[in-house]
Amino acid sequence: MQSLQNFFMNPPFAASDLAPSLWWIIALPLLGALVSGIAGKRLGRANVQLIASTAVAGSFILSLLSFWAINSPQATTSNGVTGHSIRYAMGHTFGTWFSAGDFTVNYGLHVDHLTGILLLVITGVGFLIHLYSTEYMSHDKGYWRYFAYLNLFVAMMLTLVMADSLVLLFVGWEGVGMASYLLIGFWYDDAAKAWAGRKAFITNRVGDFGFLVACFLLVVTVAAFEQDATQTNFARTGTSVSGFAAGVEREGPLAFGTLEIFAQALSASPDSEAAIGPSTEIGSGPLAGFTYGGVLTAVLLLFLLGAAGKSAQLPLYVWLPDAMAGPTPVSALIHAATMVTAGVYLFCRLNFLLVFSPVAMATITLVGAGTALVAALIAFAQDDIKKVLAYSTVSQLGFMFMAAGAGLWWVAVFHLVTHAFFKACLFLGAGSVMHGNGDETDIKRLGGLWKEMPVTSWTFLIATLAITGIVPLSGFFSKDAILHGLHGVELAGGLSWAPHLAARIGQFAAFCTAFYMSRAFILAFTGKRSPQAKLAHAHESGSAMTLPLVVLAALSVVALVYGLPIMRGPDGAGEPVFLNFLRPVFNPGTAIGDRLASVSHTDVGGLGMAYFIAWLVAVAGGALAAGLYLKVFPAREGQPAPAAATGIVNFTRNKFYVDELYDALIIKPVRFVAFLLYRVFDALLIDTVLVRGTAWVTQRVGSALRYVQSGNVQAYATLMALATVIALTYAIVKVLN
Amino acid sequence: MVPIHHFLWLAAALFCMGMLALLLRRNALVVFMGVELMLNAANLTFLAFARMHGTSHGHVSALFVIAVAAAEAAIGLAIIIAIFRNRGTLLIDELRTMKN
Repeated sequence: MQSLQNFFMNPPFAASDLAPSLWWIIALPLLGALVSGIAGKRLGRANVQLIASTAVAGSFILSLLSFWAINSPQATTSNGVTGHSIRYAMGHTFGTWFSAGDFTVNYGLHVDHLTGILLLVITGVGFLIHLYSTEYMSHDKGYWRYFAYLNLFVAMMLTLVMADSLVLLFVGWEGVGMASYLLIGFWYDDAAKAWAGRKAFITNRVGDFGFLVACFLLVVTVAAFEQDATQTNFARTGTSVSGFAAGVEREGPLAFGTLEIFAQALSASPDSEAAIGPSTEIGSGPLAGFTYGGVLTAVLLLFLLGAAGKSAQLPLYVWLPDAMAGPTPVSALIHAATMVTAGVYLFCRLNFLLVFSPVAMATITLVGAGTALVAALIAFAQDDIKKVLAYSTVSQLGFMFMAAGAGLWWVAVFHLVTHAFFKACLFLGAGSVMHGNGDETDIKRLGGLWKEMPVTSWTFLIATLAITGIVPLSGFFSKDAILHGLHGVELAGGLSWAPHLAARIGQFAAFCTAFYMSRAFILAFTGKRSPQAKLAHAHESGSAMTLPLVVLAALSVVALVYGLPIMRGPDGAGEPVFLNFLRPVFNPGTAIGDRLASVSHTDVGGLGMAYFIAWLVAVAGGALAAGLYLKVFPAREGQPAPAAATGIVNFTRNKFYVDELYDALIIKPVRFVAFLLYRVFDALLIDTVLVRGTAWVTQRVGSALRYVQSGNVQAYATLMALATVIALTYAIVKVLN
Repeated sequence: MVPIHHFLWLAAALFCMGMLALLLRRNALVVFMGVELMLNAANLTFLAFARMHGTSHGHVSALFVIAVAAAEAAIGLAIIIAIFRNRGTLLIDELRTMKN
């Protein structure tokens, strides 16, 4: 144990030497995307597969090296504003990206423990999925497009997590959205799939609008803070009013380093008269009159809108189930493991801002809880195996939002990582099932795969147990760390009921998770083969597909280590590995939360009992599903469910009519307004009056002026001569006067 | 020495004659000659002023005008010949293809 720790903490190279090369991590997959995208058709299938996979593998190796490098206690980088050093991190600024007036954006990359974990997940799981895709897409004509998009996605996701400012993060944020759109609509000759891509893109735009407005508000707020702040504000951060202003000018107001110093300074001494705090009114600028805390609440709620779009939370989750139109490995990588966790990452990254607003924290927690429950309920009655997994993803993302919102950032990241492993495994397993059964996705038309697809079945079972939360798989530790942690969260302003309520809802959602996952597994894998199956016998997939399954299944067991209390905390007590590991990243948030007394975490104890209840809930859910689907109504095709159940099933099967509700409430009115605009504004005003009217006037004037043109050269010359004489006369008269 | 206003009157008379030829005559060749007359009237003015000031600026301008007039004559006569071959007439009021 000690020697292992020594090995990890003593990399043979310095982080500062590696930092200037960080851009290679992004450049490799980007290069792969360029080569496959431009020359892929000529290079041939095998070459494209090799290039795309090698690019991601190269990124993975570089990520491993950077991860190792930042484990050294000597690995430091400095905050761009104050110059103080940040331990266990490295970063490099490659120069100014753009600047306008006193607004600057630098092109800088930053790797700390949070980014390091995500780098490994993105490139590691990404590589496995590239490997899997080589077989899964082996018959597809558009292979070069597919791998180009996939590589582009990886590059953009890496930009998102390595960005050291919100602007660069937004580049990745939009980039992954675009790659997701391209891959959902990959089979674009199927109109339904093309529409699914558009739905995802447009729903995300709604969220991006919130993200952008939040960024603009932050720029204005930081500028106002520069004017209002007093020297006392900066006492703790070791800089001065002018030093901060110079730092903002150098680094830009949206760099994470700047925002952290802003948060530290704003919370420096909330009770002192000499310093301004969250309850001070902004003195100048367009936001004058609002309090800093109020503006930050608005900023965070707008970020929540953006995160809800990207991470498929209420009310913008509707795109994710439709996103299953894309190839299954894409669903595994983008719509389960990485892209959809961007919202969770955002709140973890902005932990120091989040603690300013208990209202925003409570809202995020409740949105997460609501999403977790609603999606889990809808998953009950879905028959498409990918749809079950999609709603399950929405539900699990809800769990992460609960944790991130309640300030349990390390738990959110922990669940993000374990979920990436077991959900990627589940999706790839579903892909393997489809591959071996003639693309059948209806779990009622499968059945009996246990003997025919042993590797897929075993890995799917392990991942199902992990997501269900059975001891001792990783999902148990991460999910129960969330539920247990929520009980101990106290929010200021009498909002503690929100996390406590979320804990209860989460418990019930966990029960539902166990139910629908067991149902999917039982219907698809056990029992007899359904008579409606497309193929009489399924065939097991090849090694390029089963190897990633085995690795991911193994990881979803092994990842439990991160939740074990084997590290020594500051007070000497044992604490979970991830808590210890991520402490440097979340220190600012924790410290500011303590100073403002906005959020506190206590261990409510009774961990053993809580774990036992959680385990019991999971087992009960699974057992209920097993009982219902094996004994009471084995509702395969041809053996219909009892009439009593049909009504409920239909209601949930139709996804609570949310799509229909959105259609009536938003899409129909928008269509009506669009129709009006088309008829009145476009057809009448622009087409008739402006476009045709201009042409009409020109034509009339032209035919009137036609009569002036006699065609006689001498007539023109006479006119010219007369004009010259008049001009000369005028000039002479002017001169003589 | 002849006073300058004699030259200027002569030049003005030549210019007016050229212009009248340009505006009133129907034969394109004569119109062209009118243009030449106007150019030479301008030349005469330049030289008169050059003599009055005793500098060479006017001479330079006159030389330029002569060069331009030569180039213009070459191209203009070529165009007139081409039109005559094409149409069989040089009467300007019959050359109005721009109008219908």
